[in-house]
Amino acid sequence: MQINFEHRHAAHCENGVVRNLLNFYGVKLSEPMILGLGSGIFFSHMPFYKLHGMALTSFRYFPGSIFTRVTKALGIEIQWHKFKDPDQAMAKLDEVLLSGTPVGLRVGVYHLTYFPKEYRFHFNAHNLCVIGKEGDEYIISDPIGMHINRLSSEDLKKVRFASGTGPPKGSMYYIRNLEKYRPLDAQMIEKATLRTCSDMLHIPLPMFGAKGIAYLARRMRKWERLYGKRGAALNLAQIIRMLEEIGTGGAGFRFMYAAFLQEASVFLNRPEWNQLSMELTEVGDLWRDFSYHAARFFKKREAEVLSYDDIARKLEVISDRERIIFTRLENSIKRGK
Amino acid sequence: MKVKEVPQDDEFFQPDSAVQLRDRTYALDENGQYQEVPSAGWKPKNEAIRFSWDNRGEEAEALRQKVIAGKCSPLVYHMAKSVMTPRILADYSGFSRREIHKFSKPKHFETLEQAELSRLAEAMNISVEELTSTD
Repeated sequence: MQINFEHRHAAHCENGVVRNLLNFYGVKLSEPMILGLGSGIFFSHMPFYKLHGMALTSFRYFPGSIFTRVTKALGIEIQWHKFKDPDQAMAKLDEVLLSGTPVGLRVGVYHLTYFPKEYRFHFNAHNLCVIGKEGDEYIISDPIGMHINRLSSEDLKKVRFASGTGPPKGSMYYIRNLEKYRPLDAQMIEKATLRTCSDMLHIPLPMFGAKGIAYLARRMRKWERLYGKRGAALNLAQIIRMLEEIGTGGAGFRFMYAAFLQEASVFLNRPEWNQLSMELTEVGDLWRDFSYHAARFFKKREAEVLSYDDIARKLEVISDRERIIFTRLENSIKRGK
Repeated sequence: MKVKEVPQDDEFFQPDSAVQLRDRTYALDENGQYQEVPSAGWKPKNEAIRFSWDNRGEEAEALRQKVIAGKCSPLVYHMAKSVMTPRILADYSGFSRREIHKFSKPKHFETLEQAELSRLAEAMNISVEELTSTD
């Protein structure tokens, strides 16, 4: 059986799953709007939290938060499950699926058979949607694929119980009912935007938000001393991968949030948000410029290579620009214009 | 970023061609409006991925030499090759981390029984023959 589910390609896995799930229930929102409403944009660099033995750098909020926040704002009832026993997890998935409900899953990409082998590392915050089952095969709508595909139940069990940093433990989520559904309004957008600004500006620890980017720059200057030449390059490669790789956003998130600001500026009739959107686009371009220069470290074209100091300086510029943009965004709401 | 600047550098082989994995980028058109454009990949990203991949290969090769010299067991080499840490392998195979560390020494690895070897091999998606050799 297969649920009549419209599969649409998305830039980011979680936004995509949320957008497609809501779309199934007739709630039509764009992907940037989901990101804005879920306050998905963020920055953190945590040297004490390791992924592949290197500091975790993240450009998004905790996995799962976008779904929770968007549905809460819209008054939609949802259900989360987590399991200890893999067989129980699969049985519950079948039960919910057979009642005609599409189910979102959090999985690890290491055993995901349709990923190119270069992408398959122990990263456990990928999201996909299960929309049907035929025999022993599940029909999967992965929002970063252009088309739907199939996965055997054996493989699906494996990815749901992947191991490593932040194991998914069979997490599954779905929409229960829409009785208290409220259509999108200006207040929701403003509230979500204020929360984004607060996350980006007011967390009193150095590694989070816009100032976290400057913190990363400071760490970067020490890398060669701490990890040696090779270790420093590996750390940099990890940052670029987190910045650009499928599903994690990064520079792409800046563009997407800029798209949200543009959409919201029309919705709320706030022309100055469009101006902020253009500025955030420039910051996105700066992030790409950073990736471009950083990638030269791996090519070893000695003449063109910058030092860690130079690329750290690029990050400091980005940190300043983002701080200014989000401060202006926050002020524009607080002053009520 | 402008719509026509969206990169299309596809480099990696996708095992399941039906899925067609793509990035999707939000970019500005001529009128300053945001558009969605699918992107096949970007060179700097591909280089970063390739760099960490190559590096992993070199590390595994160095460990292989140690295995041949008899300093550690083939398990260590295969663990590096499949990007696993003792903790992850312990989770997948059901052994404790302490046991995995123990099996990393040649003298303990040799005493492993067939059933235990197949448990380890299965956790790493390889056959027992592969696990006990270093090719």
